[in-house]
Amino acid sequence: MALPWVEKYRPKSFADVVDQEEAKYVLASWICARFRAPKDFCTRWAKKKDKEILDARAVLLAGPPGVGKTTLIHALAREIGYELIELNASDVRTAERLKEVVGRGLREGSLFGYGGKIVLFDEVDGLHVKEDAGGLEAIIEIIENSKVPIVMTANNPYDPRFRPLRDISLVVNLKRLSEEEVVEVLRRICTSEGAKCEEEALRSIAKSSLGDLRAAINDLQMYLSGGRKTLTVDDIKRVGERNPQLSMFEILDRVYRARWFDEARAISFNPSFDWEQYFIWATETIPVVYKEIETMSVAYDRLSKADMFIGRIKRTQEWELLPYALELALGGVSQIKSKPRLPPFIKYGFPQRLLILAKSREARKRRDVLVEYLAQNLHVSRSYVKSEIIYVLGVLAKSDSKIVERLSKALGINAIDIKTLL
Amino acid sequence: MSELFWFEKYRPRSFDEVVDLEEVKARLREFVRGGNMPHLLFYGPPGTGKTTMALVLARELYGEYWRENTLELNASDERGINVIRERVKEFARTAPVGKAPFKLVILDEADNMTSDAQQALRRIMEMYAQNTRFILLANYISGIIEPIQSRTVMIRFSPLPKEAVFARLRYIADNEGVKISDDALEAIYEFTQGDMRRAINALQIAATTGKEITEETVAKALGMVSPRLLRETLNDAFRGNFGKAATQIYGFVVDGGIGELEIVKQLHREALKLDVPEYLKPEIAYIIAEAHYAILRGAHGLTQIYGALAKIRKLLKYTASI
Repeated sequence: MALPWVEKYRPKSFADVVDQEEAKYVLASWICARFRAPKDFCTRWAKKKDKEILDARAVLLAGPPGVGKTTLIHALAREIGYELIELNASDVRTAERLKEVVGRGLREGSLFGYGGKIVLFDEVDGLHVKEDAGGLEAIIEIIENSKVPIVMTANNPYDPRFRPLRDISLVVNLKRLSEEEVVEVLRRICTSEGAKCEEEALRSIAKSSLGDLRAAINDLQMYLSGGRKTLTVDDIKRVGERNPQLSMFEILDRVYRARWFDEARAISFNPSFDWEQYFIWATETIPVVYKEIETMSVAYDRLSKADMFIGRIKRTQEWELLPYALELALGGVSQIKSKPRLPPFIKYGFPQRLLILAKSREARKRRDVLVEYLAQNLHVSRSYVKSEIIYVLGVLAKSDSKIVERLSKALGINAIDIKTLL
Repeated sequence: MSELFWFEKYRPRSFDEVVDLEEVKARLREFVRGGNMPHLLFYGPPGTGKTTMALVLARELYGEYWRENTLELNASDERGINVIRERVKEFARTAPVGKAPFKLVILDEADNMTSDAQQALRRIMEMYAQNTRFILLANYISGIIEPIQSRTVMIRFSPLPKEAVFARLRYIADNEGVKISDDALEAIYEFTQGDMRRAINALQIAATTGKEITEETVAKALGMVSPRLLRETLNDAFRGNFGKAATQIYGFVVDGGIGELEIVKQLHREALKLDVPEYLKPEIAYIIAEAHYAILRGAHGLTQIYGALAKIRKLLKYTASI
């Protein structure tokens, strides 16, 4: 039976899962501390002694696609001889159904002499609010009463609605794979398929996969389809790469250096062009490129006109106006009468606005939790909480410290953090 | 019913019939030859051959059994989370018919599927990979969740080049016993910008006016101004007799029944092709943008068009570009 290569070359053993040693140590340490597992497995992999790992009720593997979350659990089950009971987003996961499937799975005796059972709730961030009603609560209940290992996977476990799940689980983050590791796997597959693959070609596939091994293997299969036995850089150039992503630095450079209006405008057709990001970057880079006040003012005038159109579009939902906004933001910033001759290299700094937002991300997340809690309890909108209630609460908290303590208890957020939010 | 529409009647049935897209065809042929392939994601603007390629691939893989081995769900089908969990899953888990190596699920306009429905697809694509492959078609790649992108080979479809569109339109016109001028082909391309389906529709609409298709008949049929006429009008507006240009535009709207917004859009395209210094083009774009916005907000169309033309003329005169 013809299998896609991602399935054909899916790691079978724990050791085969590449570039996730830290996650493997944590997972193995947890399994070996709380459940039965083969001695040699524990000797090799159970390297962690942290209390939070050993005491965790369940493990939640988090990370981007294609880094081995699901594969790691399948490999673990195979390695320690456990039967895997898996429920993923393609299954109905209402409270009733979850309890029925997991309950039945745990009650029934294992065939083939499995040493135990392991439950995998794959893609928990794919739980559907309506169709999987009560699913999240049921998973929490199953975890709290379970005598068997329960593991979950998610791309984004930091969604506020998964907070109760995070509270009773150990979150283990899997990282994007390094380019070297991806190349190494691709090289092994080429050898296995009897194909001669240029190092540079494999590196190109790895680079454009952005650390997603599954994507890289898929792409390799495409390039070597039909039983081809060679792969060169030219083959890849001809077909095009997975993520012909232009960084914002490259986009800006192309805009400022464009010699024609159409050339600048065409940048918006690039699949990786994100106009909202572009506006932030352009706002801060115009003075870096255009030092003369005359040129700078024309560039800002056009960017501000473009921004005005974006505002109109958002207000009226007249998206047919977007091309004008992009023309002004790209062609307008690029084509200026008194434009100076640009140096060969321009140092575009990372926008301060984005740096500040990144630094305050955690605080903003905590603030969102607080706002959500207040909105629900006070029966008002979130925007009303932000504009009115937070201020009132801040004043009240100054005169009564118990208020902060009560909020801290209710939200599970440090009292000092709450004070800074108010 | 499908014979009624030329874009369906002339939809290619084999790789050889597909115009352009040589590199994509070469890849897909290799998949057919090897009897194996990963899941695929075709993305790109409408009318660039995504659906056609997916159906051609199905025919080439399965021959006469292509319908039995293919589940095609498009935007008109219900494709919520339940359909994915039930219908798609059911189809994916059963064995292929005949000697086919695997079955095929084609999800058209996948970028319009809800995020939840896409989530439900993730593990189905892996668990039933032994006997089913998925081809997802999307206009915007941003509408496809990252985990699905990761599970597919992404193939980009770009707007078709002018020559490819012209060749196909000529072939259809010949078959339908219609004569089409080069100007008419240019006008159709101008209107459809590399979208083959719209181009064929435009040809079919224009053909209802008679057996000879000219630029004028295309413009009339599509409710647009003849590009040549509009260029002459702009020439008058910017370099010669403004009154004559205004009368022409009045005629387009009142006698020709062409919408003011359509004229503004064409004006936008044509004005940016003017032979003027590049630094003036953003100013021209802004003038037209303001007129477009004003019309959308209820302003009088003709007044806005005249105003825009007058401002552009003043701009060009002021900068001595005419």
